[in-house]
Amino acid sequence: MPNAQFEHKWGMVADLDKCTGCQACVIACQAENNIPINTKDYFLQRRAYEWIRIERYWEGEYPNVKARFMPVLCQHCENAPCEPVCPVFATYHNEEGLNVQVYNRCVGTRYCINNCPYQVRMFNYWHPNWPARMENQLNPDVTVRTRGITEKCTFCVQRIRRGELKVESQGGNRLNDETIAGGNYDPACVQACPTNALMFGDLMDPNAAIKPYFDDVNAHPGHGEHDRETRGYRLLEEMNTRPSVIYLKKVDQYPLPGKGGH
Amino acid sequence: MPPLPPTRQLIPLALAGLLATAIVAFIVVVLFMSWFSNPPFGWGNAPDQPIPFPHTVHAGAVEDGGHAIQCEFCHRNVTTGAAATVPAVEVCVICHKQINGANAKADVAEPETLINIQRVIDKHADGRPIDWERVHRMPDHVRFVHEAHLRFLTQGEERVVTLPVGDETPMTLPVPVQEACSVCHGDIAQMEEVQPQDGQSLKMGTCLDCHRENDVSTDCTVCHK
Repeated sequence: MPNAQFEHKWGMVADLDKCTGCQACVIACQAENNIPINTKDYFLQRRAYEWIRIERYWEGEYPNVKARFMPVLCQHCENAPCEPVCPVFATYHNEEGLNVQVYNRCVGTRYCINNCPYQVRMFNYWHPNWPARMENQLNPDVTVRTRGITEKCTFCVQRIRRGELKVESQGGNRLNDETIAGGNYDPACVQACPTNALMFGDLMDPNAAIKPYFDDVNAHPGHGEHDRETRGYRLLEEMNTRPSVIYLKKVDQYPLPGKGGH
Repeated sequence: MPPLPPTRQLIPLALAGLLATAIVAFIVVVLFMSWFSNPPFGWGNAPDQPIPFPHTVHAGAVEDGGHAIQCEFCHRNVTTGAAATVPAVEVCVICHKQINGANAKADVAEPETLINIQRVIDKHADGRPIDWERVHRMPDHVRFVHEAHLRFLTQGEERVVTLPVGDETPMTLPVPVQEACSVCHGDIAQMEEVQPQDGQSLKMGTCLDCHRENDVSTDCTVCHK
């Protein structure tokens, strides 16, 4: 069987009940993936590079206000809207369920950015540069993207590859449950999350902690969401992009007057 | 001024046509040569090293006057990590503490050799590294892990594979490390000076041929980062 090693389907679960909006994942991602340092200008122009961002929503009216947080990263959709619009096949789906961006093929048409409903693809409007001597802390496992191409979250594919090599060189099977549970494959954001709001796993692994959430959401798609046993849902589910990231609703013990439990 | 005869009117046009043809031909030839020669026109061949390092003497067979040092004795990371790594001066001095100007063998006791050995010892005494020039350089977006490739070639059960590199004779794996390195790098032990052109082309096609032949994944993310 060719490509027998692809026995993975990576997925992530973001528990909004645990997320405190601390931005540790954003910083971890920036350090891991050689993302240029954003300045105020970048944000004002809406050209900031953030492979994962914390979206903040306000609920209620002053003084009864609550802040809600939601980490948004590339959803690695199974029906990814970004893929069919790329004229040069720079973005494609690989056998592991990853939505891959090939930087060398990208010619910078930005069709994918415009077609992404989650706004998670970034265009390099400038040459990447870092303050003096900070180039020395760049991650050698991740290429530095040049100006004029699109980039996005990779689910830290370099860590997945490193984990595979680590498991294999120790004589293990890369599909072994223990090695996946041991955090060999975790992306930087998952590793950095202080409250374990982000969980990463392999959906091909029957014992994966994230698998029940995916099974539940897949069993009750679309308008069946009220039948779900877990709090799981997908972003913009009505678009049928089938993301590999599932969000768990926040359960508020003290809801604002006139609001539901979540 | 009377008009030129028709035949002479065509002379400037013919010259322009010849010039255009010559330019196009030149570009085509340059593109072909740079595509099929490795490295293009010999650019990027071995640069001058700060101290000459003859692999023939160090890694060559004993019959040929070498010392048959195993590759991984100096390139220590090659069996454990991504990069093979160039050794620290301390590794040189493991041997060159003994093999120095005072007691070198008569046949290597050329004055130049002794001076070079002394320079290594001096660097070690000063605590300064030797600034070796890099010979094989991968582009930034390529991930090549020596450890995984050596594991394929030097470990596992006995099997016969055809590697689409070199003369394509079937190889019986596993092989010793020294032979495994030669698959891509050529016979380094015979090289006075390591030249990339003596080994395999480090183009993507070479990688892909071998990956396809041996049922290894050819997904972009396996090699590109």
